[in-house]
Amino acid sequence: MARTEVLARDSRQPGRAEAGAALTLAARMPRLVLEARRVAASLAHGIHGRRRAGPGETFWQFRPFVAGESASRVDWRRSARDDRLYVREREWESPHSLWFWLDRSASMAFRSDLANAPKNERAFVIGLALADTLVEGGERIGLLGLASPSASRRIVERLAETLVAHDGDLDEDLPPAIGIPRQDEAILIGDFLSQPDDIAGRIAAIAARGARGHLLMVVDPVEESFPFEGQAVLHDLEAGLRLRIGDAGSWREAYRERMAAHRAALHAIARRHGWTLTLHHTDRPASEAALRLLTLIAAGRREGA
Amino acid sequence: MLGLPLSFMAPMVLAALAALPAIWLLLRVTPPQPRRIDFPPLKILADLLPKQETPARTPPWLLILRLLMATLLILAAAGPVWNPGAAGGTGPLLLFVDNGVPAAHDWRERAAYAEERVAAAVRDGRPVALVASADKPVAIAASAPGAALERLRAMKPQPWLVDRSAHLDTLRAFLAATPEAEIVWIADRTAGIGDQGFSAALASAAGARTVSVIAAPRSGALALAGADNAPAQLSVRIVRAEPNGRDAGTLRAVDLKGLPLADTAFTFPSGATETQAAFALPMEVRNAIARIDILGEASAGAVALFDERGKRRRVGLVSGASADQAQPLLAPTYYIARALGPYSDVREAPGGVADAISTLLDQQISVLVLADVGTLDRDTLAKVTGFVEKGGLLLRFAGTRMAGGSDDLVPVRLRRGGRNLGGTLSWDAPRTFAPFGRESPFYGLGLPADLGIRRQILAEPDGELSRRTWAALEDGTPIVTADKRGNGLLVLVHVTADAAWSNLPLTGLFVDMLRRTVALSGTQEAAASSGEAARDVPTVAPTRILDGFGAFSPPTADARAVPRTYAERARQEHPPGFYGPPDSAIAVNALVAGDRLAPLDLGPLGGTVHPLAKAETVDIRGALLTAAILLLLLDTLASLWLGGHLGRARIGRRPAAAAALAIAAIGLLACGTGGALAQDKAGAKPFDAALVTKLAYMVTGDGAVDQISRAGLTGLSQALASRTAMEPGDPVGIDLARDELVFFPIIYVPIVAGRPPLPEAAIRKLDSFMKNGGTVIFDTRDAMSARPGGQPTPEGQALRRMLATLDIPELEPVSRDHVLTKTFYLLDAFVGRYATGQTWVEALPPAAEGERRPARAGDGVSPLIITANDLAAAWAVDRAGEPMFPTVGPDLRQREMAIRGGVNIVMYTLTGNYKADQVHVPALLDRLGQ
Repeated sequence: MARTEVLARDSRQPGRAEAGAALTLAARMPRLVLEARRVAASLAHGIHGRRRAGPGETFWQFRPFVAGESASRVDWRRSARDDRLYVREREWESPHSLWFWLDRSASMAFRSDLANAPKNERAFVIGLALADTLVEGGERIGLLGLASPSASRRIVERLAETLVAHDGDLDEDLPPAIGIPRQDEAILIGDFLSQPDDIAGRIAAIAARGARGHLLMVVDPVEESFPFEGQAVLHDLEAGLRLRIGDAGSWREAYRERMAAHRAALHAIARRHGWTLTLHHTDRPASEAALRLLTLIAAGRREGA
Repeated sequence: MLGLPLSFMAPMVLAALAALPAIWLLLRVTPPQPRRIDFPPLKILADLLPKQETPARTPPWLLILRLLMATLLILAAAGPVWNPGAAGGTGPLLLFVDNGVPAAHDWRERAAYAEERVAAAVRDGRPVALVASADKPVAIAASAPGAALERLRAMKPQPWLVDRSAHLDTLRAFLAATPEAEIVWIADRTAGIGDQGFSAALASAAGARTVSVIAAPRSGALALAGADNAPAQLSVRIVRAEPNGRDAGTLRAVDLKGLPLADTAFTFPSGATETQAAFALPMEVRNAIARIDILGEASAGAVALFDERGKRRRVGLVSGASADQAQPLLAPTYYIARALGPYSDVREAPGGVADAISTLLDQQISVLVLADVGTLDRDTLAKVTGFVEKGGLLLRFAGTRMAGGSDDLVPVRLRRGGRNLGGTLSWDAPRTFAPFGRESPFYGLGLPADLGIRRQILAEPDGELSRRTWAALEDGTPIVTADKRGNGLLVLVHVTADAAWSNLPLTGLFVDMLRRTVALSGTQEAAASSGEAARDVPTVAPTRILDGFGAFSPPTADARAVPRTYAERARQEHPPGFYGPPDSAIAVNALVAGDRLAPLDLGPLGGTVHPLAKAETVDIRGALLTAAILLLLLDTLASLWLGGHLGRARIGRRPAAAAALAIAAIGLLACGTGGALAQDKAGAKPFDAALVTKLAYMVTGDGAVDQISRAGLTGLSQALASRTAMEPGDPVGIDLARDELVFFPIIYVPIVAGRPPLPEAAIRKLDSFMKNGGTVIFDTRDAMSARPGGQPTPEGQALRRMLATLDIPELEPVSRDHVLTKTFYLLDAFVGRYATGQTWVEALPPAAEGERRPARAGDGVSPLIITANDLAAAWAVDRAGEPMFPTVGPDLRQREMAIRGGVNIVMYTLTGNYKADQVHVPALLDRLGQ
């Protein structure tokens, strides 16, 4: 029979080990491919010009000064050439942002002896590695509800610090209901062991403005196969539920059916918003899931472009 | 029960077995605690009710285990007894146990039987009255059986013969008071002192009740009753109560310290109850015998103790001649001491005649020999007179002083002067003895043919003279006279104790005469003491007494002192053993000469005698409870495993292995944790040291000093290897107390102040190392701080303390011509890091007068070299081969000179004084060339 293990509360925060593992994993990601696609999709690294004037770095056009404008907007070097006053306009640039959410609830701090790593460790490694790879590719990464997007080179450390600093939502099992802009993407990593209706509500809120996203469901092998026999008491880690089972073996089939239904519901939710759902077992290598997510992100860009 | 010899003390408890089915049902529906599984997906499954609500049943094997445990507990509570033994009545049990001398023979069996009877009474709840026949009769009262069991376990056989009839009164009183009592007599089948009527009296007291007598079929005890120290042998009498098949055996004689002296075998003629065994040993060995045992018979009766009364006499020798110790053969006491030495305890005392006599008299001698003592001063005369009158024997030898006049402590009146026979001015030839008369104590001794008396002292003719004469010459003149004085005896030999007047002291006759004379002192003393018995005889307290098994033990509280003349058998207040101070103890034995053991008459009791066989009752309650506890342990392990708790130890997948491991661990704990393996990690060291010559230094425990020593000897070893034929191995640090030193030619010992002194074993080892040719360099390393003539430095004091217990020869500074300065290099001084210190070696014998030798050496190698120059620091090199410390001194070549000194020292220790001869080689070659 498989043994299960619940980790301490401290381990629910990313540590140096997770950050290091994430950087190692990110170093192995095929970033050149991603970059090539990104260059094809946008002019500058990650900067997507809007073909009109707006806030941005790149020169767009000079236009005549209109009375009533602030004098500070006058481009004096251009205006000195003749008698007219010009205003320098830049192209409106708005980069894509990717919003991460990492489930840090108690149910994630769990591993069985069939797994290679605890679920939350796997979530941190995959999430931070993706963040690093994406920043290398010019994207801006934010934490949903915690940090605004940034393209820092030390994005892994910054994200980890932010996560450690905000331990208020450690028991939050669902992503915050914060809508993100239409061009942005959300990457939600967790075990999604909540009622499908609750999850659907939150995803609907995030995707309210049409943003797309990706769900990564981290599953321990034990949760998949339920390899228990005999009499047992099941303990829930968050709500404090207890369930006494006379014979775990006879309960397995019912559990599997129930689990399959849950996944089907999640798939339906994802499809409804044009999102993707990826299943990751902790007895598989982390790179597998990371690669798949990268591929999905890139594929989505191609479609969008 | 069911034909098995099994009974239960509380059979009603067995009814609880009927509850087993109920327990079965209860256990069946009460499975072990379910295992806990932490399972996150439970949250979304809360609506999913388990299909099978009925908990799993307890596994059948666990059910059987628990039922078995319950059965065992119920059985144990019922108090099962295997072989319950004789079921007695309900009244009190009177247990009369013989524990006298003969009981020790098979005490184990009788104690076991008695214990079994009392244990049965404990189970039945019967009161027990316990009477030991060798103890003092006290009023008998039945007590709780538990208390009786304790008393019984404390009961031991006593080392004296019992008197059972003394218990008759108390027995009668008890039997009259408790008519329902059951009487059990565990008898030893040997009659006690005057208790042949005991059986009849007990039968009458018992009345209608039967007395169960439990005894061995025959009395098996053997005992020693009396020993006779005859002139030729020591004969011992062995007795038994009745023929019992033990017809042969061995006696062992041991001395006071318990060392065996001799064994002798004895056999009983068939049907006899007593026999004799003899120790045919030299007198002095027989005198050393302190006790004789029958081998294999652990009993006080099988031990015969011997005291001073049957042993050698103590003889004091005093000579009037001025003692010249340089010529012992001329001392008048020499022949007496030699003649009496093998048979008596001969003592001499230093000082003048008066001092010596009083010293010897204080030593409780029984014979005082005065050789050529003429007149005693008044005090001494009074002392000697008192000694003789109290029973002492005074043996005097004539001599020139006595010829000049004597006191009145002589048996006969003496003429002044003497008589010369066969002298230059005499016509007579030397005379010999007349045959000894029948009344003489010397009767029967043969006369040597070459006996010759050349001079004697003559007695005044007297009517009493012939009666007092023990020996006379052929012409009738007395040569040995004796007279009683008080209780003692005066004996005068009319010639000297040396060979000046006669050749009597040179003959074997002299030895025999002295032995017979000295032997008389004992009889005199015995006669005196028997006459004095009624008067105040000093008593002596017990010092070592025998217990019932014949082993010595400290005296018990109720052992009383005995008078010095005590010669009876042991009693309760006088247990056998030694009484009085060790050098003049008197022995009390369990049996005395003439005692015999008689079989006990059990006829009047009528009943049959039961053999002394145990029923081997076993209380199996303990075994059942142990089994139940083991099952409980198994059950606990099984429950833990079923609850998933054993998994924490990562052995959860193998519950059987876990259980076996736990049980094995418990078993190991029970077996104890002894048997730590001795480790011999230093085993290989001596071999390494023996394979190649190495320099050694003493590990002082001061890390810095030890490192310098090691580096210094490394540097010296390198210098030796590069400059000389010697290629030493790596230097070795040795612990003087632990390591073997014989492999090292030289040991460098730096002196560190403030270290604890070397242990005594290390000092002795160092001493023997130096004695056997090794050389030790003591380096105080204090040449910088030492002031000539000033206070010794701490290192100097430490060295002095270390050398205080060593055997150190005379020392001197190394002289210019000492061979040490010439063994390899020609040197003037031995410098080290410092150059000012003096170097000391064993002083050489002074040079022969006028001899001019370039080098001098003693017979061996100086065992020690003492320096203050810190040699090792000058030699010390680091890994790169560079010197580690600067030298202190103006000479730029000082380090080179230090190394040369070290080379010389090593060469000196290895070659000895060889170089002292080598320096002559040119001269020898010169001479050969001519």
